[in-house]
Amino acid sequence: MIEVQNISKEYPLKKAQQKKLNTTNTAFSAIDNVSFTCTPGRVFSLLGPNGAGKTTLLRIISTILKPTSGDVRVCGYSVKDQSEMVRGKIGFLTGSTDLYARLTPEEIVKYFADLHKMDTRLFKQRKEMLFDQLNINEFAGKRYGQLSVGMKQKVSIARSLIHDPDVIIFDEPTSGLDVITADNIIKLIRQCKLDNKTVIFSSHIMSEVDLLCDDLAIIAHGKLLFNDSMEQFRSLSDNQSLTQTFIDVVGTESVEL
Amino acid sequence: MKIILTVIKKELKDTLRDRRTLFTALLLPAIVFPLMFMGMTKIETQRAEDELNKELNIGLLNAPKIAIDEFESDAKIKVKNLKDLKTGNALVKADSLDAVIVFQTDIAQQIESTKPGELTIYHKSIDAVTYPRLLEKISLLESKIVQQRMQKMNIKTEVLTPFTLKDVDVVSANEEMGATIGAIFPIIFIIFCFIGCMYPAIDLITGEKEKRTIETLLTVPSSRFEILIGKMATIALIGFLSAMLTIIGMFVGITYFSDSTQKIAGSFTEIISIKAILLLFGMLIPLSVFFAGLLTAVVVRTKSFKESQSVVTPLTFIMVVPAILALSPEVKLNWQVVWIPVYNMAVAIEEIINGSISMAHYAAIILSLCVAAFIAAYISFKQFSNENMIVN
Repeated sequence: MIEVQNISKEYPLKKAQQKKLNTTNTAFSAIDNVSFTCTPGRVFSLLGPNGAGKTTLLRIISTILKPTSGDVRVCGYSVKDQSEMVRGKIGFLTGSTDLYARLTPEEIVKYFADLHKMDTRLFKQRKEMLFDQLNINEFAGKRYGQLSVGMKQKVSIARSLIHDPDVIIFDEPTSGLDVITADNIIKLIRQCKLDNKTVIFSSHIMSEVDLLCDDLAIIAHGKLLFNDSMEQFRSLSDNQSLTQTFIDVVGTESVEL
Repeated sequence: MKIILTVIKKELKDTLRDRRTLFTALLLPAIVFPLMFMGMTKIETQRAEDELNKELNIGLLNAPKIAIDEFESDAKIKVKNLKDLKTGNALVKADSLDAVIVFQTDIAQQIESTKPGELTIYHKSIDAVTYPRLLEKISLLESKIVQQRMQKMNIKTEVLTPFTLKDVDVVSANEEMGATIGAIFPIIFIIFCFIGCMYPAIDLITGEKEKRTIETLLTVPSSRFEILIGKMATIALIGFLSAMLTIIGMFVGITYFSDSTQKIAGSFTEIISIKAILLLFGMLIPLSVFFAGLLTAVVVRTKSFKESQSVVTPLTFIMVVPAILALSPEVKLNWQVVWIPVYNMAVAIEEIINGSISMAHYAAIILSLCVAAFIAAYISFKQFSNENMIVN
C-alpha cells in the first residue's frame, strides 16, 4: 500500500535561474499538494507529459528525495521518518539508471541482496527462481557491461525483485527499450499484480497505460489533474481516443507526446 | 558494520577490475614509477661515468715540453700539436677537438726565468666535462713547475703546507639516512597517497552519478552514512596501498636495480627500525582517510568524470606544496608545526627515520591528522546527504 498525502516538492531558485525563467518566485514547485493511494493487487499508473513531476514523485516515494511538505506512507512507514524501513519494502526499477559494468549479474544481484540484509538461503532460492524465470543463467557470469540492452534489463529486474518487495516502483521502465524487451517488462508488471504486489509505474505512453493499469493519476506541472480508476477514465473518453482524453485533461500546452 | 563491509568488498572488486584505476593507483607506483626512477638514476650515473672516462682531444699551441709530457702521460687525453690558432679554433667549432690550449710564444723562457706565463683555453661552454678536467690538469702542471722551481731554490716543499687537514664525519647512519630518505619520503607518501585516492574517489562517487547507478543504490535499506563510509574506506585503502606499494617498489628498485645507491640500500635494512616503519604507516592511515574525505567532498559536487578530473588535478599540486616546504633545512618539528595536517607529516618523516622524534610530537601529529580526516569525512557526509548533490 502506498498513501501519498499532500505531497509538495519545491526547489529554491537562484537569481540566474529566476532570470532564465523570467519569474520573481524564489522557489520552483515540482510537485504541488498531490495525494493518492495505491492498493495491493492493482496497478497504479502515473501519467503525465515530460517534466510533469512523475519522476520527482517516484523519487520521493522511494526516499531518494525528501518532500518539502506532506508525507508518503509505504506499507505504513513514513518516507520522512522511517526511510530505511520504506526502502526495505520497495523495489525500484527505472529505465534511466544503469548497473555496474565491471560486475557480473550474479555479483550485482548478490550485492543488492547483501544490502537488503537477506540471509544466504533465502537469497539462493530467490536468485535461482528469478534467474530461471528471466533466463539469466546463460549470461550470469559475464560482465554487465558486455551484455545487450535486453539482458541488462533482465538483470535490473532481478536486482529490483531479489528481496521480494511488497511495493514495486517502475519509472518509465520501457523508455528506450526495443519491443521485445519492453514486452518483458509488461509481463513482469502483470506478474507482480498477480502476486498481490502494490505496483506504481510512470509513463507517458497511453497504450501501455491502457494495457496494464487499474488506477490512474494524471499530473501536469506538478499538479494532480485526475485520480480515479481506469474504467472511470475510459468513460470520460466518450468515443474519442484515450490519448485525446488525456490531452483534454492536461491541456494542449502541457503535452509533448 | 556488515553493510559497510559489503560496500567495501564490492567497491574493491569493482575498482580492481578497472584498468585505469589499477594502473594509476597501484601499478604505476608499485612498478612503473620505481623502475622509471631507478632507470633514470642509472642512466644519469652512467652518463656521469661516461663523461668522466671520456677521452679528451686537446690541441696544444706553443706548448713547452713539460706541458706536452704532462698531457701525453694521461691515457684519457689525446694531444694534437697545432701550428696555428685558426686551425685549432675551426677544429673545436667542428667538434673534432674538445679544446685548444694556447701558451704564450716564449713560455719556456718564462718558466725557466721563474716568471708567470700566460695560457688561453678555447672551448665550448656547453661541454660541462672538458673545462673542469683541463683546469685539474693545468693545476697539476703548475704544481710540478712550482716544485721544480723550489728545488732549484733549495726550498722545502713543506713550507707551502702549514696544515694537514683531517676530516672526521660524526654523523650517525640514522641521521644520514634521515637526511637522504627523509627528503624523498614525504613527496612519495603525499603524492602517491593522494593520486591513489584520486581515481577511486572519482570512480566511486562521480562515476556512480555519471553511470546513473546512484539512484539504484540509494533505494536499498541502508543509510547513506554506511554507504559513504564504505566508499570512503575503499578510497582510503587504495590510497594507503598506493603509497605503501610505492615505498616497497622504491626499496626493491634501490636494492636490486640501482648501482649508485648501494650505500643507501645496504644500510637501509640495517638502520630503519620496525618502530620507524610502524610510525610511518601509522601516519599514513589518517592521511589516507583525510584525502579520501577531502576528495569525496570535492568530487561529490561534480557531475562527470571529466569535470572531476579538472577539479581534482589542481589539488594534486596544492598537496605537494607542504612536502616541498618541508625540504627546507631550516624547518624543524615544533609545537606549532605539529598541528598543521600534511605539512607536519612531511616535516616529521626525517625525524622518524633518524629516530629522534618525540612521541608527544608524534601523538599530536596523529591527532591533527585524525581531526582533519574527521572534518573531511563530516563535510563529505553532509554533501552526500544533500539530494541536490547526489541526484542529477
